[in-house]
Amino acid sequence: MIRRAALVLGLSAVLVAPAWSEELAAGISRDKIEINSRFTGTEVAIFGSVEPATGEVVQENRARDIIVVVRSDRASQATVRRKEPVGPIWVNRDFQTLRDVPAFYFVASNRALADIAAPDVLAQFQLGFSHLETGSAPGVQARVAFRQAFLDAQAAAQLYAQHEGAVTFMSPSLFRTTVALPPNVPAGNLRVTVYAFKNGEVTSSNSMTLFIDKTGIERFLFNLSRREPLFYASALLVVAIGAGLAAAAAFRHRH
Amino acid sequence: MEIYLPIAEMPVNVFLIVGLGAAVGFLSGMFGVGGGFILTPFLMFLGIPPAVAVATQSPQIVASSVSGVVSHWQKGHVDFKMGGVLLSGGLLGSLGGIQLFNALREAGQADLFISLSYVIFLGSIGGLMLWESLQAVRRSDGPASGSGRVAGAHSWIHGLPLKVRFHKSKLYISAIPPLLLGLLIGVLSVVMGVGGGFILVPAMIYLLRMQTSVVVGTSLFQVVFIGAFSTVLHAVTNQSVDAILAGLLIAGGVIGAQFGVRFGERLRGDWMRLSLAVLLLMICVRLGVNLVWPPSNPFSVSVEVPA
Repeated sequence: MIRRAALVLGLSAVLVAPAWSEELAAGISRDKIEINSRFTGTEVAIFGSVEPATGEVVQENRARDIIVVVRSDRASQATVRRKEPVGPIWVNRDFQTLRDVPAFYFVASNRALADIAAPDVLAQFQLGFSHLETGSAPGVQARVAFRQAFLDAQAAAQLYAQHEGAVTFMSPSLFRTTVALPPNVPAGNLRVTVYAFKNGEVTSSNSMTLFIDKTGIERFLFNLSRREPLFYASALLVVAIGAGLAAAAAFRHRH
Repeated sequence: MEIYLPIAEMPVNVFLIVGLGAAVGFLSGMFGVGGGFILTPFLMFLGIPPAVAVATQSPQIVASSVSGVVSHWQKGHVDFKMGGVLLSGGLLGSLGGIQLFNALREAGQADLFISLSYVIFLGSIGGLMLWESLQAVRRSDGPASGSGRVAGAHSWIHGLPLKVRFHKSKLYISAIPPLLLGLLIGVLSVVMGVGGGFILVPAMIYLLRMQTSVVVGTSLFQVVFIGAFSTVLHAVTNQSVDAILAGLLIAGGVIGAQFGVRFGERLRGDWMRLSLAVLLLMICVRLGVNLVWPPSNPFSVSVEVPA
């Protein structure tokens, strides 16, 4: 029942936002997420079908591998510091700066990434935590311990996730997975990319954009704080002072 | 009930934040302290980005201080002249404090500096207050003797020029010590992200020897302006003030402050000093333990997401 519902959902969305390539079709259940005052995170289904090229005969169920990556267009800069004891107290000594790391990163695959392709192929497309570029320059990785501390912190904040085996095949050609967008997901565009692999090589890929935007009062306040910061601060102070006066007056009469 | 914060970019529980605001407002109305030293760590513990936590407590401090200062003013417990002198020093100091804060943050030692200054200031001030107020409580078994003044005690402070008469505070002293005190508070308020009340209140009692009854109101008076100034500063430079978070804290804070003022009035001066001393020492011990205890995770990660 659930499977059929997913199929129907999948097919209808494929019709809404088709992204065809030679043999890979992929879609997302929603392409716009609005963050309002009641936003507490959401889930988006990513699905598609991978068909054998004309004339090719599928030998077995695992003829194809699928890796799905969702990453934010917003790049963040992280500073990882390590405390070391200096006399009796613990002080930040060594540090490493990680530049241009994605503000959100999710990767899912139908089986272990290491079984799908060789490290150099995975690195080429930045597939998986161990192949995410975190260095100050392309190809230069941050030191292992600092890099791991960063990945752990982002995973704890639900901003990074890696789920090997979370892409499921519903038929030899139909696949799907779900990405959980946490409450603190950064607003902006998320790029959803589906890679189809065969024999350790990328045979095709498809990209879609998922828009995440604040709406209503959230959007209004955010924009105001960026465009008119002085007015924003003054208005907030008027509210603060007004609330203070009102409370003092209310309690004076009650007293 | 959860509500999404537009600047912090995450949801929080409405009742938890209002309750937190109320608790901090209570301390503010009672002791004349802004409460930032409790609020900031707690907000960060909830996962709110540090920059937003530090910036957003400023409007909350303004609201609960206004709430408290009006009540104190109605009872004639605010020395505006003294408050004005402290404030002019404070605004100058906060301009210098920004330079210091940026330098420390670049060196990655802002946290250490903040923790160390807390431990040193809270420890020494809290320790002295505890000792003094215990003496006072033990001495006085009867009518309120609560000003903390020792009759006939004239320190070096009384030998300075530029003497001004502060009627409300019952003082005739040089304007230099309050001005310098304000300057110090201004620097600390920016660097440590607090209103500075917890240093100001003891300093007014013991250094300037003001009457305890006017100390709280006068401290709140200057905290209002320092808080307003840093709200504008944070909103313009970092754009990290979250209006929704501030609104929730304010709603709790202004009501908490009213209860704090009333509760504080029933406390005798020496008991009020004793309980503030205990509060300061508790926070000092907690921060001190953090400094020397081996951290469970030696790594700390700060992520900046440019808008």
